Amino acid sequence: MMSGRRVVITGMGSVSAAGAGGMPAVAEALARRPATIAPVAAFALEGCTSRLAAEVDEARFMALLDPDSVRRLSRICRMTLAACRAAVKEAGLPGGARLGLVVGSEYGDFRSGAEFVDGFLRRGPAGLSPLTFPSTVMNSMAAVTGIAIDAKATSVTLNQATVAGDLAVARGVGLIADGRAEAVIAGGVDELFSHVYRNLARLGALSPMGGGAPEGCRPYAKDHNGPVLGEGATFVVLEEREAARARGADIHAEILGAAWGAIPVAPHSAPIRRRDARAIARRALDQAGVGAGALARCYGSGNGDPALDDWELRLLEADGMREPVSLASLFGQHAGLGALRVAAAALDARTGRAPSLVHGIARGGCRTALVIGRVA
Amino acid sequence: MTRVVVSGLGVVSPYGAGVKTFWAGLSTGECAIRPLTIIDTEGFRSRIAAEVPADVIGGLGVSRRRSRADRLALAAAREALADADLSPRDRTDMALIVGAVGGGMLEGESWYWDEALQPGSSPKIGALRSILPTSHSEVIGWRLGLGGPRETVVMACASGAASIAFGADLIRSGATPLALAGGVDAITRICFMGFNALKLLDPEPCRPFDRGRRGMSIGEAAAFLVLEDAEHCRSRGGRALGQLLGAGVTTDAHHVTAPHPEGEGMIRAMREALAAAGRAPGDIGYVNAHGTGTPQNDRVEALAMARVFGEGRVLVSSTKSLVGHTMAAAGSVEAAATLLSLQHGLIPPTANLRDPDPDVPFDCVAQTARPVEVDAALSNSFGFGGQNVSLIFGR
Amino acid sequence: MTQKEVLDELKALIVERLKFDPSRAAEMTLETTLPRGVEGSLGLDSLDFIELSVAMEERFGIVIDEAESLADDFVSLDTLSRFVLSKVK
Repeated sequence: MMSGRRVVITGMGSVSAAGAGGMPAVAEALARRPATIAPVAAFALEGCTSRLAAEVDEARFMALLDPDSVRRLSRICRMTLAACRAAVKEAGLPGGARLGLVVGSEYGDFRSGAEFVDGFLRRGPAGLSPLTFPSTVMNSMAAVTGIAIDAKATSVTLNQATVAGDLAVARGVGLIADGRAEAVIAGGVDELFSHVYRNLARLGALSPMGGGAPEGCRPYAKDHNGPVLGEGATFVVLEEREAARARGADIHAEILGAAWGAIPVAPHSAPIRRRDARAIARRALDQAGVGAGALARCYGSGNGDPALDDWELRLLEADGMREPVSLASLFGQHAGLGALRVAAAALDARTGRAPSLVHGIARGGCRTALVIGRVA
Repeated sequence: MTRVVVSGLGVVSPYGAGVKTFWAGLSTGECAIRPLTIIDTEGFRSRIAAEVPADVIGGLGVSRRRSRADRLALAAAREALADADLSPRDRTDMALIVGAVGGGMLEGESWYWDEALQPGSSPKIGALRSILPTSHSEVIGWRLGLGGPRETVVMACASGAASIAFGADLIRSGATPLALAGGVDAITRICFMGFNALKLLDPEPCRPFDRGRRGMSIGEAAAFLVLEDAEHCRSRGGRALGQLLGAGVTTDAHHVTAPHPEGEGMIRAMREALAAAGRAPGDIGYVNAHGTGTPQNDRVEALAMARVFGEGRVLVSSTKSLVGHTMAAAGSVEAAATLLSLQHGLIPPTANLRDPDPDVPFDCVAQTARPVEVDAALSNSFGFGGQNVSLIFGR
Repeated sequence: MTQKEVLDELKALIVERLKFDPSRAAEMTLETTLPRGVEGSLGLDSLDFIELSVAMEERFGIVIDEAESLADDFVSLDTLSRFVLSKVK
């Protein structure tokens, strides 16, 4: 899916349970591996079968923002803005008609939706807040961020389970390849919200999924029993390679291959026997001119969801890859996780390692593959 | 360069099910905006909308267990695929791009209302599984056997148009020869209440480009286009309804709800579409406007159109005057209207336009459809967050 | 109501509905200007004004007709509180 235009990574910004900031913050989190998963502190969970999450410390992302200018922004918008601003600042990238934005999210701003509706339930029509309403549409994060970083080219918000961050980066590469932008800030964001958490637990979607083993995030392990949610925003700066060179940008890595598509399966399912007829991961490897055996590492999207973990392992094995590395236990499952894996691969590339594959697969079959290595 | 044609069309509109019904309503200029029945509107200033009638929903041939929006989407998608007469093999190659905002929120709201009154009570929790916008692409992709890349774009009122632009991009990049692209939105309480709260709704059916216009009218619909590589269509013996010549997708980066006061992003979107289509402004005979009927949108859009085309140099009309603002579906519903107007040589009117605003320097085809043969037409969709999409269709 | 009482209510609304920090409210006086683009103002834009109008309608039991041009009334807390008083009578 790539034209003659080559795409490089020139910056990153992240807000997560492990810290907030640009590349140094991400590198530190990956090196230090702080314990981030703990019982949820932000809201009560009596009667709930799940209790754990990787929560973001408010102070960390507010430190990256000017309080006055974010006064009316919802929490998820603030996280997005903090991460994107850090990324843009690090890259030294100017805004304008050639800067695009791709935001991936699984749950969007449910908090604002609930707040808006609660106003009506409490006080009828007079209780509705016009100011809150725009935040009930999932593109609000992109809208406020675009204004702040002056992203005037194509701005896209993608709704996708599990791999929204991966998909956003793949689509960002596509926008540059298609000529719709010269640079794109791409990544994912989700926040923890009580209603969403409680209902996911009720629906049996979170560890321990009604099972016997203790609640926890154990991707690919034999006793994996469901994902543990996290929250945060992580975005990478993608640029057309020659434009990045021309402006003297510090290039961290190149996206040597990018592919995305779907394995057609029933909604929400992860059928282990279903193969990928389109060989999406191999397509990315072919574009990169890299064989599976030559990869330094494969970052997988497995997050402890047993069916999904097992399906991913099977798919990767079919493509000649084993022992994927998950970052879910460090950051929790949220849309930013895919972009964090891209960031990790970019950091690997900086240290001169062989290229890495960032792989993503979601229930319902959305599959993404990004090969990231040193710029040629 | 790869040409992209439209080889199938499917629409469920407030007029009823099917493209024929849709065109019949548009061409006779029938306004489908009526008092709302599916939600309680007590206490709100504007209590009307363009609702898809209950008997139409019931007759769509989609299970009642699915959300209203999923039903609209699936029915429209089915019609488009049948219209394109594709083989199962073609379907396995087909990408799917869905523009959506509300998802299954109508049903989610029912559950939430029940829960607010009595926590833990509602049996409707299953509704949460299809509450997110991704629900439509999951259902459509699975039920219709589509095996290509799938994506759900949430770009407010520009979602339906953006999906078409991105579908065409996929085809041009060689990723797939076929894409089903379109948008859907069902009426939701949150949307109805929100636009009321922002005072953007007219208590009467909207009057785009009218001097006395006071706001929008909400609608609901689904529309899907089968986009196809022209060569692929030709070699399989498919028939093309028209071409997608080009698309511009830009962002104002100005304000979360208000457009840039000089339509800066709108102008760029239209110009990008023209450049992509390799057409000059003078080649465009008709603009299907975003035309919501709010004082601000229509004024700024008219300004932007004047800058791009020149005052009075193109016919303009607003489909929203007929079927309301169908939110995430609007871009694709109006793309369908634009294609049909090219095909039939008839420009649908702007309904309720009795006293044209003198600050709008265009003939907005007031009240009666106008027979005009046009070679190329442009459709605008502008969403919250300054999302601008312009699509250019040709015969 | 006195103008001072209206001012206090408006400050409370600005904190509650426009999400200003309560410490800012303490600094607000009748002279405080409101619209974005005015030096030293609270920097309110059209969305803030709609929110404030809705909040004022509810708090003071008044009706604000959006067809009216309200730009002059929303210049400062002084003009705004006078506007409210004129509607409450």
